[in-house]
Amino acid sequence: MTVTARQQGLARCLSCGKLCRMPEPQAKHRAHCPRCNRAVSYRQNASLTYSWALTIAAIALLVPANMLPILTVVSFGQGDPDTIMSGVIKLWESQLQAIAAVVFIASVAVPVAKLVVMLLLMVVVQFKLPLSKQQCTLLYRFIHFIGRWSMLDLFMISILVTVVHMGNIANVESGPAALAFGAVVVLTMLAADYFDPRLLWDLEHE
Amino acid sequence: MPCGAAEGILLYNNPMTEYSTFARDSLLACPDCDLLLQVDSVPAGSECHCPRCDALVHGENTYRNDVHLAAAISGLLLFIPAVTAPVLKFTMVGQWGSNSLLSGVWRLWTESEQLLALLVLLCSVLAPFFHLLLSFGIALVLRFSRLPKTFPDWLKWHHWMQGWSMLEVYAMGIIVAYVKMLDDGDVFVGNGTYCLIGVLLSLILCNQFFREEFAWQRWEQRQQELQT
Repeated sequence: MTVTARQQGLARCLSCGKLCRMPEPQAKHRAHCPRCNRAVSYRQNASLTYSWALTIAAIALLVPANMLPILTVVSFGQGDPDTIMSGVIKLWESQLQAIAAVVFIASVAVPVAKLVVMLLLMVVVQFKLPLSKQQCTLLYRFIHFIGRWSMLDLFMISILVTVVHMGNIANVESGPAALAFGAVVVLTMLAADYFDPRLLWDLEHE
Repeated sequence: MPCGAAEGILLYNNPMTEYSTFARDSLLACPDCDLLLQVDSVPAGSECHCPRCDALVHGENTYRNDVHLAAAISGLLLFIPAVTAPVLKFTMVGQWGSNSLLSGVWRLWTESEQLLALLVLLCSVLAPFFHLLLSFGIALVLRFSRLPKTFPDWLKWHHWMQGWSMLEVYAMGIIVAYVKMLDDGDVFVGNGTYCLIGVLLSLILCNQFFREEFAWQRWEQRQQELQT
């Protein structure tokens, strides 16, 4: 038989991990962790609402991030703006397949995979779908782990625009997609932070 | 190592009959699935995983303060050259260009990409710096057992900085940028990169050797001392 902390009136503090005794449900005051004094609740407050809002915003921004130019390389007055995908294709065509794969994974595959997984997890909780909780938890840990690697493209842009800044000879400029892409990365990281994986396991006890 | 009777660790999950005002530390809730676990003793140097969802519920209980402190100091010493010295140098038909972490941020700022500049500044400079600084402070006060009243805030900020510090991703960005520029001219690795590798190693050591739970328990002891 499995017993959760919540069934026993206990909650884990999100900040320090201390197991706290919760007050009776009718109590007016909010419970605070005796160790770190942060407000404690059974589950992350409004977890699903925040996750939905942040994920939908990220999906909307994914469109300009991929359609608009992210980088323009001008060499001796010649050069076209590149979107994320056309940059990957150019790398692939210039025999840099390994780097093309790295950029593709970090800038295209990871953000899309994160959003798809977030949607899946939220749909599972929202509509109480009978999916394997172990596998959903694995997916949740996976997106938490890979989320930060999407910043790769932005760091690379910051390096390239600074190093290749030589007036008429060669110049690299960032495009409007860079900001949209940065917003996608931040929003998906926050969405994953707000999602409480314990909501998945709560379905087992209903 | 999964927890279970086979490893000589008594672990069971049963309804409790008695509580103290706040739960004892042998009683834990899994952070990922909320399963209530009783962990009676974990041998030094081993970890404890949730039997239901395999989350780490109890990390290693050995804390090496000396390594933590040494790593934080080395990281801080290398930090200023790491963000100001050139990371990559590039030459093309007699023209030179180079970048450092800070000049990269400044270039984005002057290119009217202020928000992007702030994001890059946070993830590649501010978060790693405050992560190291707070690691240093935490290791120091733990060493001399003089925890200040604001210690819980230190730990919370340390945790937050840890999440936004992305120097390892920046290092990967250097490699990608290096290979991208190889075709068009000569690229050289600057001193900033070597310092950056040092800072990165210090950060990894700090993360490997710091035990947040240990720090929280020391704070709890301090709270009890203050009350008596």
